[in-house]
Amino acid sequence: MATETHGTVATTEAPGHESGGLPQLQFQHWGGQIVWLLLIFAVLYVVLSKGLLPRVSGAIDERGAKIAGDIADARRLKDEAEVQARAAAAEVAEARAKAQKTAADAKAKATAQAAERQAKEEAVLAEKLAAAEASITTARDEAMSHVRTVAEETAGAIVEKLTGKTASAAELKAALA
Amino acid sequence: MADPMHQFQIQTLVPGPKVPVPGLGVIDLSITNSVAAMLLAATLIVVFYALAAKKAVVPGRLQTIGEMLYGLVDGLAASIIGHDGKKYLPFVFTLFAFVLFMNLQGMFLVFTATSQLAVTLTLGLMVILTVVGVGFAKNGLKFFKLFAPSGVPWPLYFLLVPIEILSFLIRPVTLALRLFGNMLGGHVVLKIFAGFVVALGGLGLLGWAGALVALLSVTALTALEFMVAFLQAFVFAVLTCVYLNDVVHLDSH
Repeated sequence: MATETHGTVATTEAPGHESGGLPQLQFQHWGGQIVWLLLIFAVLYVVLSKGLLPRVSGAIDERGAKIAGDIADARRLKDEAEVQARAAAAEVAEARAKAQKTAADAKAKATAQAAERQAKEEAVLAEKLAAAEASITTARDEAMSHVRTVAEETAGAIVEKLTGKTASAAELKAALA
Repeated sequence: MADPMHQFQIQTLVPGPKVPVPGLGVIDLSITNSVAAMLLAATLIVVFYALAAKKAVVPGRLQTIGEMLYGLVDGLAASIIGHDGKKYLPFVFTLFAFVLFMNLQGMFLVFTATSQLAVTLTLGLMVILTVVGVGFAKNGLKFFKLFAPSGVPWPLYFLLVPIEILSFLIRPVTLALRLFGNMLGGHVVLKIFAGFVVALGGLGLLGWAGALVALLSVTALTALEFMVAFLQAFVFAVLTCVYLNDVVHLDSH
């Protein structure tokens, strides 16, 4: 191999690389490298631009789209959840209002019943009181009337004892009036 | 010490036909070590992307690296060329990947195709011819406005136009020489320091100390060269985008 390259070196260029010249400047090697480079680059360009790079960019774009889609989904779900939370809060508030109303109603009813019962009992008591008062009055009146007869009898007895004479009932009544 | 230049010597691996071309001499189509390196780089790129280009939404390691490199060049093309960048992305990416793989291959194997001036110059010319082609396809004869920036007093054109033409013509040369020089220099320095390790290692105790210093230098330089290998591929892609942008947006030039 080496001898072959040296053979061509001698015809066109400076004697050989051992003399200190740059091996890169052995121009007999340029043609082959340039032709191969152009060929390899062309093939590489076609393979990359038509086959592989679109796949890479496709994967990157797809990922971007997926992430954007996922974020949009998440945002939508969050909005939905917020709406639901608001609805739930409204429901709770409604239920609480209802419960408070029920409680108030029950309380009012209980109060009314208690008042009614109390009024009834008071009425019964008042009736009993009135009856008692009436009976007391009659008893007193009766007693008072008895007191007169007792006084008349007593007065009659006193008069009889003192005077020896019985006083008539009319005289006694007039004397006690 | 081994000749640090020997690593750049072209050697035929598989003899091929020698095609005589009138005016250019004989073109030797043999598979040389340089051609083999280029073939290997291209094959590795294809294999790598065949494995990396998957549809997985959650990417594996290979897919992550593949998409990272693609995203890097995509970002470059988009930020430098703008909306039209997508159209030139495959070209820029092929260049970037090819140069990157050839550079990195040189870090692992014995031969670096991008340390061959023939290769880098061809790549540079390819870029500039693409730029010229795109320029004419997009702007027609207005392409020549590239050499006559607007908003300049006309007498200055006598000075400006030759400068602009020269700076345009020199672009492929700078592209080629930058990559070539970096690769050549890096690998020569690595070889020389590695040679020091061997040479000083045979000189007794003091020599061992020197060899250790040289060895540490080689280690550090290897790390540096990995960075250079990536950076030069990146720079190549950036400049390709910049030059393409010049002709794609000629109106704002």
